[in-house]
Amino acid sequence: MLKTIAAAMLVSAAAISTVYAQDGGKVTVVTSFSKDVTDPFKASFEAENPGFTLDVQNKSTSSGVKYLDEIKANNQVDLFWASAPDAFDSLKGKSLLAKFAPLVTGLPEKVGSYPVNDPEGYYFGFAASGYGIMWNDRYLEANNLPKPAEWSDLTKPEFHDHVAIAAPSRSGTTHLTIETVLQGEGWDKGWGTLKGIGGNLQQVTERSFGVPDAVNSGQTGIGIVIDFFAFSAQAGGFPVSFVYPSVTTVVPANIGIVANAPNQKGAEAFVNYLLSEKGQAVLLEPSIRRLPINPALYANAPEGFPNPFKDPRFQSMITFDSDVSKKRTDVVDTLFDQLISFQLDPLKGATKAIYAAEKALAAKDVAEARTLVNEARGLISAMPVTADEAASPQIRDAFTGGEQKTARQAELEQQWASFATKNYAEAKAKAEKALSLVD
Amino acid sequence: MASVASIPFRRVTAKPGQIAAVALIGLFLAIFLIVPAGTVIYTAFTEKGTGALTFVNFLDFFRTDLFRRSFFNSVYVAGMSVVWATLIALPLAVLTTRFDFRGSMVIQTLGFVPLIMPPFVGAVAMQLLFGRNGTVNLMLYDWFGVRIPFMEGLNGVIFVQSLHYFPFILINLSTSLRNIDRSMEEAAQNLGSSGFRLFRRIVFPLSMPGYLAGASLVFVKVFDDLATPLLLNVKDMLAPQAYLRVTSVGLTDPMGYVISVILIIVSVFAMWLSAVAMRGKDYSTVQRGGGGLMRRNLSRGESIVAYGVVGFILLLVLSPHIGLLLLSFATVWSYSPLPDDFTMVHYARVFDESSIYIKNTLIYASLAGLIDVVIGGAIAYLLLRTKVVGRRWLDWAATSALAIPGVVLGIGYLRTFYGVTLPDGTPLATLWVMVVLALAIRRLPYALRACYAALQQVSESLEEAAENLGATKQRTIRRIVLPLMTGGLLAGFVTSFSTAAVELSATLMLIQSNSDAPIAYGIYVFMQSPAGRGPGAALGVIAVIMVALCTLLSHYVIERRQKAIGSAK
Amino acid sequence: MNMNTTTAGLAPSPAKAISIRDVNLFYGDLQVLKDINLDIQPGEFFAFLGPSGCGKTTLLRLIAGFNTARQGSVVVGGVDVLDMPPWKRDIGMVFQSYALWPHMTVARNVAFGLEERRLPRAEVERRVDAALNLVGLKHLAERRPSQLSGGQQQRVALARTIAIEPKVLLLDEPLSNLDAKMRVEVRRELRELQQRLQLTTIFVTHDQEEANTVCDRIAVFNEGRIQQVGTPMGLYEKPANLFVANFLGTANILDGHVVGAGADRLFEVPGAGSIPIPAGTSVPRGAKLVFRPQYATIGSVAPGAVALAGTVTHREFLGATVRYGVQVGTASVLVDVPFHSGDALLETGTRTSVGLQPSSAQWLAE
Repeated sequence: MLKTIAAAMLVSAAAISTVYAQDGGKVTVVTSFSKDVTDPFKASFEAENPGFTLDVQNKSTSSGVKYLDEIKANNQVDLFWASAPDAFDSLKGKSLLAKFAPLVTGLPEKVGSYPVNDPEGYYFGFAASGYGIMWNDRYLEANNLPKPAEWSDLTKPEFHDHVAIAAPSRSGTTHLTIETVLQGEGWDKGWGTLKGIGGNLQQVTERSFGVPDAVNSGQTGIGIVIDFFAFSAQAGGFPVSFVYPSVTTVVPANIGIVANAPNQKGAEAFVNYLLSEKGQAVLLEPSIRRLPINPALYANAPEGFPNPFKDPRFQSMITFDSDVSKKRTDVVDTLFDQLISFQLDPLKGATKAIYAAEKALAAKDVAEARTLVNEARGLISAMPVTADEAASPQIRDAFTGGEQKTARQAELEQQWASFATKNYAEAKAKAEKALSLVD
Repeated sequence: MASVASIPFRRVTAKPGQIAAVALIGLFLAIFLIVPAGTVIYTAFTEKGTGALTFVNFLDFFRTDLFRRSFFNSVYVAGMSVVWATLIALPLAVLTTRFDFRGSMVIQTLGFVPLIMPPFVGAVAMQLLFGRNGTVNLMLYDWFGVRIPFMEGLNGVIFVQSLHYFPFILINLSTSLRNIDRSMEEAAQNLGSSGFRLFRRIVFPLSMPGYLAGASLVFVKVFDDLATPLLLNVKDMLAPQAYLRVTSVGLTDPMGYVISVILIIVSVFAMWLSAVAMRGKDYSTVQRGGGGLMRRNLSRGESIVAYGVVGFILLLVLSPHIGLLLLSFATVWSYSPLPDDFTMVHYARVFDESSIYIKNTLIYASLAGLIDVVIGGAIAYLLLRTKVVGRRWLDWAATSALAIPGVVLGIGYLRTFYGVTLPDGTPLATLWVMVVLALAIRRLPYALRACYAALQQVSESLEEAAENLGATKQRTIRRIVLPLMTGGLLAGFVTSFSTAAVELSATLMLIQSNSDAPIAYGIYVFMQSPAGRGPGAALGVIAVIMVALCTLLSHYVIERRQKAIGSAK
Repeated sequence: MNMNTTTAGLAPSPAKAISIRDVNLFYGDLQVLKDINLDIQPGEFFAFLGPSGCGKTTLLRLIAGFNTARQGSVVVGGVDVLDMPPWKRDIGMVFQSYALWPHMTVARNVAFGLEERRLPRAEVERRVDAALNLVGLKHLAERRPSQLSGGQQQRVALARTIAIEPKVLLLDEPLSNLDAKMRVEVRRELRELQQRLQLTTIFVTHDQEEANTVCDRIAVFNEGRIQQVGTPMGLYEKPANLFVANFLGTANILDGHVVGAGADRLFEVPGAGSIPIPAGTSVPRGAKLVFRPQYATIGSVAPGAVALAGTVTHREFLGATVRYGVQVGTASVLVDVPFHSGDALLETGTRTSVGLQPSSAQWLAE
């Protein structure tokens, strides 16, 4: 019995190993995009460029970056293809990308207010993505919830326990969303909004796709997502809707050639294809639904499809400063984790208590109670570090391991976590006291 | 002095074969487990930035509230999962072994199926059934205006984990129950014990070794599992913390590795504890013959209750698979008890690709299972039949693989083998063989337990008789030990095979192209987009059916073999 | 069920002697065999007798090669086998549990050792047939062990061992898994078979009756030592110490002390009387008075015998004899009296005296 299995396996093994020998024109791409995105591109690219085959390796953005770093000594990957620009920035910083000048010219320099391409030519935007709010229509209807339009809507009591977000430390796109809010509203006000949303969160997922997945299935009502998740879900028939809040930004999804690519020619061919009209057209397929970077394509776009180059709302979007973002990436992510993700229950508890007190106050105002509630809100939105501190070299070194001995990351995390625990507990106590004063 | 000289001291003859076996297995474990894991875990002992050796990271672990909380949560969840898994497994095991119960074979096979839970899709299916707005809660809310938080927080993790891992207890407990000498029970009845007291005082204590073996596996697996808590968005547990920290972009945070080290220590400690608890309690092997427990007939009333209980449990434990099946046929399934409509398109979508996935999965999983059975069998033999130095270390090393997170092993493989190239420049790490080895290492502990139990059941006098009749150690192993262990080896192979077939965490780092990918990877890739949910579920169903068929087949082979041998008197 | 009466097909080699010298064996710090020296004659049917844990099985397994001694030698047929692995020794052993391989048929089981010796197929078949014929199980050759009764399994185990024509045969409690009737039957057959094959055989048992009935000589073991080696009758008549006296048959053992010296030595049993110690009898320090129940009389005292005063405490009727329990001093003594029809029996509580010839008494130490 075992012998037969072994023999069968050897035969199959031989069959597999022959696959390696065939293709000279294999272009290997590491991507975070799902099969629904990559399959149409693969088919179209191979049709346009006979002789080349696209070999897709799926990895999450973060593990893809880690992977390229681990294998750099003997790199076998030609392209890195993902959404979050900061991942490309990180790769560029580690000298893991190669410079290239694409053949396709005449594409816009900026989408919204974000530069489409890396100024030094290490990576290129091929599609635009905006961040916004997605919801499940059935869910909102069943729970009698209004449709949200702005980030601040999500801090309202009626959305308590109905919102989902991906952890910014896990999702590059969510990180950009968070950073957009912080840059748009300022450090302190921005965190106030984020913690307000935090108090309403039902879940903080570990994968970007976890949020649209939960909204699609109706486990959660509202999610903070990148636009194409909503568009492709709509195309798939799910009862979901999407809105861009006024404070948001459109950023490009990118592709870059990996340094020392084994198939440089193939890599270049794919970048050129992706930016060409043929490649850009694929973006409009129902299962993909991303905003093309070539304005001409919008002529063929389906009804209601947003156009970041024409729609006025995109023009008024804030300027995203990627330098500011870069300096404090780790700090912002860790703050979000320590103050919101890992403190979700205390934060929600305090927020709920405040809602209860405010509801009572609305019916009957008691000055002392009002003061207490305001204090409670102040405690929740208070931050353990200022914007300047967050970007300071001392704190940054704790995360990256600088030459100088600084506080260790673990120590900072513990400080911030205990800051949050204490504040949320106090806020809850104050809110409960306020409620008892009103009753 | 002359008399001393005439009685020369004899050394216990050194057995070069055994030493070579220990060395070879040690080398294998070193190259494919200890070194790769070590290169990653080493970070735990270094200072960030300077890279100097330090233990301060471990102090930080215990100084951090989050980690302390995570630690206790993990212990709590693992412990409670054992309790619930026991409550699920106990009735099934008792009814199928102690009573004349039709469908015992079906239950024993179906009871194995929960272990075959493809990644992602299983959790999605569970959410659709038991989530806050899943089928059950939507109906409960409709009818009674209440929701039960099955899937929320630590309790959600306990719920899903007990449903997933109870087969470990079921399998081991059933084996133990079957091996109890009939006279043990008869003696108790003779002395006036019966019914539940008889079970509590005699039968259950006697089946303790099997139960403990299963329970410790459940504990360790739940303690080290990261996928379920993460998919339920529970982050304050150790394994998810380790994973989040190891895989986050740009972070060179040693704490993730510190947690990995602590996971390994706790897991090995738990296995050691169960080994200590079992010491001197191998009742089942002391008493052979008598042919197992008496099977009692159920009265009509009892039958109804028993079938009811079994039906309910089976419905519960198979619910992820039922959900998966529904999902694979669903068009849109959103905020409704059942899908809006049903369709076959998802199967059509995956039909072309699935053949390569299935082929790869079968190759990888069966090679991994084969490696596991060979190495697990060898370690079990060294442990039980020899006194060669280092055999315990092999055991601990192989067992520690239980606790090494798949990601850590995956990264370790890249680090260790990417620099090593074949003559044509292909890095060793990109060969699909590496995936097989990673799978084999990850599943080795299961196979080792199975082989150990199988060898324990083989009376040593059977081997001595062969040696006495002129068979060397090698010949004895080939002609006596291996044939008698076949059932156990096959059981070990099946466990390794079926769980490796749906494993993803270690392979995700190592898969180099779609043509090398196993089915779990295919599911993962599909499950990243809304439109991929259906096809992903379809692939998941295919995976479950494929593995279940292989399992059923081997059960059948084992059964036939057992019948051929007869209950060895 | 009877065994065949010929050895046809099996050609036993000339019987081998076994000589064990200075064997000591330890399990960790525990010494389980102490200074074992033993000579077993070619063709002898020899028993290792003793209570459980006495070391008899340990020594048997040492001879077979499953235990290793740090020192000493075990010479079988002129060859020191102590350094040989079990499979090179050509020493046949029948295991207590029979150790029949459940995955092989009876015939495959018996053929195993022959196949390991790489004998030609025809020869294997011939000898399997012969061995199975010898134990009368030819008709069950294709059965599995689990389909056989205990007695049949025992015979298969024996056939399997004999088939390899071993130098010597070791039997580890071969009768312990059989019922009483089978046991008597099989032990007689074992004896016959051994006689026919003229095979040096060691038989391990804790049952003195088994040892007495089948064996030429017996080594009595206790606490890792050989207490005495001798024929069944010799051991019964002249036990070397209290252990042997007590283990083989029933013995009365009375505490007391020696008074006087030279030819006038007396052994005084407190509260019962004293008995003269025959000249030339050596009485070790701390020795006790030992005699068999049938050598004493009750009530009447024959000429030359001494009387020990006592009280009848119980009486058992055994058919050919009547066994009285008599309280003599602090000791309880058994006396067997032949029963003849019409004999008057003593009642419990009767004061009486136990008569004993000094010549049938022994004085033994521990």
